[in-house]
Amino acid sequence: MKRYTRLIALVGVLALAAAACGEEGAPPAADQGEEAQRGGTLLAGLESDVDAAFDPQKEYYSVTWGFYHCCLLRVLVTTPTTTAENGGDELQPDLATDLPEVSEDGLTYTFTIKDGVTFAPPYQDQEITAQSFINAMEREATPAVGAGYPFYYSVIEGFDEFGEGEADSISGMTAVDDKTLEITLTRPAGDFPFRMMMPAAAPIPDGAADGHNKDYGRFLISSGPYMFEGADQASAPPAEPFPGYEPGRSIVLVRNPSWDPDTDPLREAYLDRIEAQIGLTADDGALRVDSGDLHLMLDSVPPAQQIQQYQGDPERRDQLFSFGGDGTYYVSMNIAEPPFDDVQVRRAVNFALDRAGLLQIRGGPLFGDVADHAITDPLTGFLQEDYDPYPSPDGSGDIEAAQAEMAQSAYDTDGDGVCDDPVCENVVSVTDEADPYPDQSALISQNLEPLGLTLDVTTQERTTMYDSCNDPGAHVALCLGAGWFKDYSDATTFGEPLFGSAAIGPDSCCNYALVGAPPEVLEEHGYDVTEVPSVDADFQACDEMELGDERVQCWADFDRKVTEEVVPWVPISFFRDVFIIGDAVRGFDYDQFSGQPDLASTWLAGGGSA
Amino acid sequence: MAQVASEPVVVEPTGPEAGGEPSKQVVGRSPSQLFWRRFRRDKFAVAGVFFIAFMIVLATVGAPLLSGVVGHDQNEVFVSEALDQIGLPIGPSGDFWFGADTAGRDLFVRVLYGARTSLTVAMVATGIALIIGVTLGLVAGFYRGKVDTFVSRLIDTVLSLPILLLALGLVAACSLSRTGCLGGLIRPGVLLVSYVIGLFSWPYIARIVRGQVLSLREKEFIEAARAQGAGDLRIIFREILPNVTAPIIVYTTLIIPANILFEAALSFLGIGVRPGQASWGKMLADAGGGIFTVAWWMMLFPGLFLFLTTLAFNLVGDGLRDALDPRTAR
Repeated sequence: MKRYTRLIALVGVLALAAAACGEEGAPPAADQGEEAQRGGTLLAGLESDVDAAFDPQKEYYSVTWGFYHCCLLRVLVTTPTTTAENGGDELQPDLATDLPEVSEDGLTYTFTIKDGVTFAPPYQDQEITAQSFINAMEREATPAVGAGYPFYYSVIEGFDEFGEGEADSISGMTAVDDKTLEITLTRPAGDFPFRMMMPAAAPIPDGAADGHNKDYGRFLISSGPYMFEGADQASAPPAEPFPGYEPGRSIVLVRNPSWDPDTDPLREAYLDRIEAQIGLTADDGALRVDSGDLHLMLDSVPPAQQIQQYQGDPERRDQLFSFGGDGTYYVSMNIAEPPFDDVQVRRAVNFALDRAGLLQIRGGPLFGDVADHAITDPLTGFLQEDYDPYPSPDGSGDIEAAQAEMAQSAYDTDGDGVCDDPVCENVVSVTDEADPYPDQSALISQNLEPLGLTLDVTTQERTTMYDSCNDPGAHVALCLGAGWFKDYSDATTFGEPLFGSAAIGPDSCCNYALVGAPPEVLEEHGYDVTEVPSVDADFQACDEMELGDERVQCWADFDRKVTEEVVPWVPISFFRDVFIIGDAVRGFDYDQFSGQPDLASTWLAGGGSA
Repeated sequence: MAQVASEPVVVEPTGPEAGGEPSKQVVGRSPSQLFWRRFRRDKFAVAGVFFIAFMIVLATVGAPLLSGVVGHDQNEVFVSEALDQIGLPIGPSGDFWFGADTAGRDLFVRVLYGARTSLTVAMVATGIALIIGVTLGLVAGFYRGKVDTFVSRLIDTVLSLPILLLALGLVAACSLSRTGCLGGLIRPGVLLVSYVIGLFSWPYIARIVRGQVLSLREKEFIEAARAQGAGDLRIIFREILPNVTAPIIVYTTLIIPANILFEAALSFLGIGVRPGQASWGKMLADAGGGIFTVAWWMMLFPGLFLFLTTLAFNLVGDGLRDALDPRTAR
């Protein structure tokens, strides 16, 4: 799970919600009848800097991924920079001529690379070849680089060996010729093409990253429609960092003269220039957007007051946007810790919680959709949209159904639907100290009271909370403030890391519920329970499938099994991302992949001269 | 023979109010009578006493009673009633007299229960400070010498500590694990906060008491007691202690509001009371971060009660000091 500031920013209770879901995400009314215009400078604001100074192998952060995807880095295959509803989850060829050919055994992927595509200055003379992608993967494998997510590429034959210095090249990556890249895997991974769309897999010119293990981001050679300002003044290899990125101060992107729109049907790139000022507060940014000094904030949640104003003003309501991202907020139940070692209790909790109320505390429909299951709708191909195994009126909880489940539990000896075992008292629970989690925990406690469950809630700083939840030895029964967000548009990121026996802490992450924990692990951490349900075989089966309907169906079935049979979670809400934009901004769209505004399709009324 | 115990009669001419004509009549009054006469004349102090009494009644009996009247429990969440359709808390209304907080709880009921937290912490912490401060002050002042040096340096040391930082650290450290510190002796929650505050507020009392005792122990009545064969303990507790009660009372009333604010500060900074427990400082913290611009009531009511309560204690403290100290001109 990469870093999402917008989620870290405390949306919560400060937020207001759109009254009508229908209008959310619709293009601004002003678009109608207007022809998209090229030109202009987009003025954006950022609360904080990017994570790793634009190093494509290290950056594991939604804001940077947004810049890469729309503007700076092209990859072999990618998704269009738009919402899931508009196809933002579907892989398309980018630098490759087509989607890769997959061998019969699912182990070999062959990409054919487009002719005549060159890098941005100062490498405008170097064509993007198979070797350019090998350069990127070798860099991702190099320990000295400190890459962000090499685990996604361990599946490539020889990747780990190269990283450990046992080989001079990655044996599974072969440049058959300049335009043909063959990648061999050690085991089938149907989502592998998605892994090749992440920024770490973007091409690097020969020699461009040499000697820049720690700071290649400052010398980043673009392949997309934009590049850092000043790159065209540099020599190859550049001697000084490009002035277009001043850490902590500003990001300035200008058009990449090497970029040829004919080779890139995925990016419109209307803007001439993109300037982002770093270090604004959310309030300051909001004021500047109101006054027209800024077109939008990229990494902050609009303050409550601003949302209220735009919500209540018919003329400005179309400048308020809410897009469904791929994230689930949930309560994790430790399935090895009494009373949650009993599936009936876990089902009872699923019936009891007032999801709609919990979402209301977060900010209402503008900030999410009630989640009836674990994996987000886009990732399960919207097959699960109507799936609701724990139905209740308005999603506000069904206490009778909950008590009926509890009555079948071993912890309710007299069968009255109220737990009468002492383990139901002072259930060890932790949550995030930031809004809206403490408020939500008040409602959760109230919802669980009729089941005889009383919670002893400790609020902790976010990282501490995740550490507590992830440590089986801490015996946290309920992790109330958990959330999970995809890396790319395949449900595999909602599989093993959350429910796999290999993802149990404290050394691994993030199977807080201990699904599939082997007996020795349970014993080691002092659990009396010796056996818990496992879904390892289920997600492995899905993981191996090739991309396509069958694979999506497999994940949908997996989602059902997790939600209904294993029940380690109470899904609370699916994440929505909220933006307020200036009135000159047109064509505003959401990049489903990065969870950021799609700057490639954004344009400015009057070409930005207004 | 102790001064206070003997209630020596002070002769004071009655004022001109006694009849209009110059009166030759002289009325005898004891120090406690004098104190009451002086204290009663301070209208603000009397009002403070009434307000404190009112708050105590409100916190003990009033909170559950009024919570029953409005039909809202302090931790009860009213999502549909108290959060508007766009997720913001509603303002003061017939059902929610002080409005609601961001979790959809009744702010009125929580302010009342918050009084309970504030007063409990203030009382317990001040009690701890009193016990430590008076004991050490008496011992240091009475025995002087090495004991005094030790206690005085201890006072200096505690006073020189960055109290808020240290309290933050202590409370945070003891709140990390649910079993608390010192093998479960100190558990997270109101009592932990009280202990910590108490441990930092005793030096003020100790210093005052020590000073008073230093001068008292040279007085003739102490010599007389000693000549009669009284032991140290008897002299300390029967002769000296009664004579330092006045400053102790005054300083106690002045430390209480400081401790209320201390608790509020700790809660405001996010440590202190357990989640779910109402506390004025916590409520003020919840109202921060911009939410008060759209929900002013979340800031106003807890802030108002905090302000009035500390003000009341301060007024009473001032009144007591004026009334107990004959040198203060009124």
